[in-house]
Amino acid sequence: MRYLSHLVEVLGREPSPVERHAFEVAWSEHCGYSHTRAYISRLPGVSREVNAGVVELGEGLVCVFKIESHNHPSAVEPYNGAATGVGGIIRDVLAMGVRPVAILDSLHMHRVIDGIVAGIGDYGNAIGVPTVGGQLRVSSRFRHNPLVNAMALGVGRGSEVVPSRATSPDQVIVVFGGLTGRDGIHGASFASRDLSGEHERINIQVGDPFAEKLLIEAFLQMRSEGLVDGAQDLGAGGVLMATCELMGKGGLGGTVHLDAVPLREPDMEGWEVLLSESQERMAVVTTPDRAGRVLEIAREHMLYGAVVARLDRSGLYRAVFGGEVLLEVPVRALLEAPAEEALEVSPPPLSSLRVSFGFEDESAAPIFSRYDYMVGNDTVLPPGLGPAVLRVKGSRRGVAVCVHSREDLAESSPYWASFVALFEACRKLVSVGARPVGVTDGLNYGDPDVDPLGLALTMRGLEDACRQLGLPVVSGNASLYNTFEGTPIPPTLIVGAVGAVEDVYGVSRRPPRGKVFRVGFEGFDPSREARVWRGMEVLRDRGCFLMAPSSFPSATLRDVLRSMGLSLKVLRPIPRGFDQTFLAVSPEGELEGLDLPWEEVGEIS
Amino acid sequence: MRSLDVAVVVYPGSNCDRDMFYALELSGFRPRFVGLKGELRGYPVIAVPGGFSYGDYLRPGAVAAREEISHRIREEAERGALVLGVCNGFQILVEMGLLPGALLQNEDGLFSCRWVDLLVEDASTPFTRCYRPGQRISLPIANGFGRYYRGGGDVRVVMRYVHDVNGSEEGIAAVANEAGNVLGMMPHPERACEEILGGTDGIALFRSMMEHLSSLL
Amino acid sequence: MQRFAFLVNVQLKGHVRDPRGETIRRVLKEEKGLPVERLRIGKAILLEVEALSEEEARGVVERACSEMLVNPVVEDYEVLAL
Repeated sequence: MRYLSHLVEVLGREPSPVERHAFEVAWSEHCGYSHTRAYISRLPGVSREVNAGVVELGEGLVCVFKIESHNHPSAVEPYNGAATGVGGIIRDVLAMGVRPVAILDSLHMHRVIDGIVAGIGDYGNAIGVPTVGGQLRVSSRFRHNPLVNAMALGVGRGSEVVPSRATSPDQVIVVFGGLTGRDGIHGASFASRDLSGEHERINIQVGDPFAEKLLIEAFLQMRSEGLVDGAQDLGAGGVLMATCELMGKGGLGGTVHLDAVPLREPDMEGWEVLLSESQERMAVVTTPDRAGRVLEIAREHMLYGAVVARLDRSGLYRAVFGGEVLLEVPVRALLEAPAEEALEVSPPPLSSLRVSFGFEDESAAPIFSRYDYMVGNDTVLPPGLGPAVLRVKGSRRGVAVCVHSREDLAESSPYWASFVALFEACRKLVSVGARPVGVTDGLNYGDPDVDPLGLALTMRGLEDACRQLGLPVVSGNASLYNTFEGTPIPPTLIVGAVGAVEDVYGVSRRPPRGKVFRVGFEGFDPSREARVWRGMEVLRDRGCFLMAPSSFPSATLRDVLRSMGLSLKVLRPIPRGFDQTFLAVSPEGELEGLDLPWEEVGEIS
Repeated sequence: MRSLDVAVVVYPGSNCDRDMFYALELSGFRPRFVGLKGELRGYPVIAVPGGFSYGDYLRPGAVAAREEISHRIREEAERGALVLGVCNGFQILVEMGLLPGALLQNEDGLFSCRWVDLLVEDASTPFTRCYRPGQRISLPIANGFGRYYRGGGDVRVVMRYVHDVNGSEEGIAAVANEAGNVLGMMPHPERACEEILGGTDGIALFRSMMEHLSSLL
Repeated sequence: MQRFAFLVNVQLKGHVRDPRGETIRRVLKEEKGLPVERLRIGKAILLEVEALSEEEARGVVERACSEMLVNPVVEDYEVLAL
């Protein structure tokens, strides 16, 4: 066990087998963020208080969003790995108290792996949350380590948001949802292992989207009845992590009665109940007098539930099973995984930046037609042309969202790759008239013990880029050890960017017929970005349709235009680089007098 | 019970219920959600929305069709109430035997979400009287099991796909019962009521129902 | 050459969760009152193979299963001669 000596120091003795299991999970990279915590805490806007980040959209509306990876499970069992990835991120957003209204997926594979596409589609479609956009990157760099990152987004009123902590020793924690079995025991530590080695038989997590849909409705009803004081979804580390985080963030302790957890497999041992990663479960903080109604609502939704923990001021985490105390340790010990040293780095020269490899020009159109992108009746801009745009009913406002990464730049310069990824993601938002308001970061990296510098540079690039644009990183995820026989993936920082749209009725669903111009500057110089955004605003006001792809044309663009009855003529193809440009479809010479360089590159007819 | 009341039946797993509610409200109706233990008696209109009732775990619509509330739907249909089944709702009505045929997996085995062109073949039903016979319209589909199989029986075809979309027999997209008060359709009219969402050819369906009910007063 | 018919019964491995089966079982037991204690949903695949002997034909079916029909990570199967 990694950090074993540290554990011995913390406990003041050798750990018992259960303590070892528990800390292996709590201090795994997936739960403890040992290698990335220091860098994450430097990111602007980061708060450890919440599951998923919150940004304001205006008029009392808030947007909650987060991105999460499910790489290792998707490599072993693509369908269920991808499906449960969607399930997990949906619950993360749901736990904030708002209804999840959109899913985006960022897929990086060596070829389109049907199981992954089907897994995301079947789960997302069944729960009735539209998959409104995503990113498809096909490259042999991901042959043994496919990356599946799912982002979820919810919109609601600020007053609906629920904290992810307990606040009083009088409270109790109810766990409800599907039954608990042996799913994914040690999945959290499994996720931190190189895939070429022998792995013990892991109980693959299987998704149950029907139960998830019921969970969504049950939880929202509980929230609307004022029964939820705090909530956390059960993900990596199951009951252990959800309950100790709720306790710890509230400065409290408590006793978890594992016998109370409703089980699917009746012969489970205590530590298995504690660490099981059975899906579709949620932890709700409430008071004893309201717990009965919470359980009633769960039952009405065909779900199981029980009061599983009673809180106190002890600061200790106590887990009891079969009359025995299985675990009794300070809550803080579980939550404070040893932090690896962070490296101080400075921005390298821009001249080091270059494109190291290309992506297959695989059209994403056949993929996103397998996802219901319309359910909810809020999708204004469907997948394929740029960021997704969703309206908020009863308002003219809306939200724009996209996922983007530039791992093709990261081998030459992980720092600048993060910078470019963030700037390009925001350019996409600005292209539909949105004002960027927040970011979630999905870090996918190789081995930080072998290459700690690349990690430091990747995170520093994101930090500096966010500061320059004045954007908070409100949530995120880190997936490390994506290697095969020691070979890492290129550092892949996926940026999930969200923008506020003031008037969704001003967003066009389709380009007009007209000439396609490329506008902006060759090369990358962050100080020029503001001028590019101003140029985009000017051209939008003049009625141009804007897009901000990294290359032109793409198979996806051609397919999407064709499905609209339009065709594309290309005068000058633009290979993927890192220029600060965007495309403007101009019906009638709207570019006159623009103070940015521009050239004609094609025509839509 | 007022003449513009609509029951939107919600099964465990239904997920287009809120969209249907929203479209009905937009069209001037008074929709209400009715769950498994709810009351359907006297509703002039019953909408069975899309989604994944019971996860589509056995066959789409199979479990929902056998719930008590579905027997109540049948009773109201026999009393002449208008019953509109969309997507999973259509699958449920077919599993109930309230409409003929079966809905099988799409020919290519894939879920498909896109706008399709349709022909309104029968503009004499209470759901289609505001369309012209033979009118070409555009509505979105989103399903994995939309292939209509008629099985050699009599079918009152109300809409057909202009191009083959999923292998449906004779391109059948929407069917009604003989009396015309029960309509099942795979495309989603409730998603086609606002320009900002992509099209408004669904409005006429709800207006048809409105006019039909008004004509009964 | 002869035609040999087989039914391949594909089931999820015992330790893999089957949410579909669990849900349908609950409906049958809790709502319809049928004492069904276990229900797993798998696949039945009918194959007809041309070969010189049943042994050879069975070999073909085994190959089809291992190369494509069965996901060895989560599924088990048995081959029944018809």
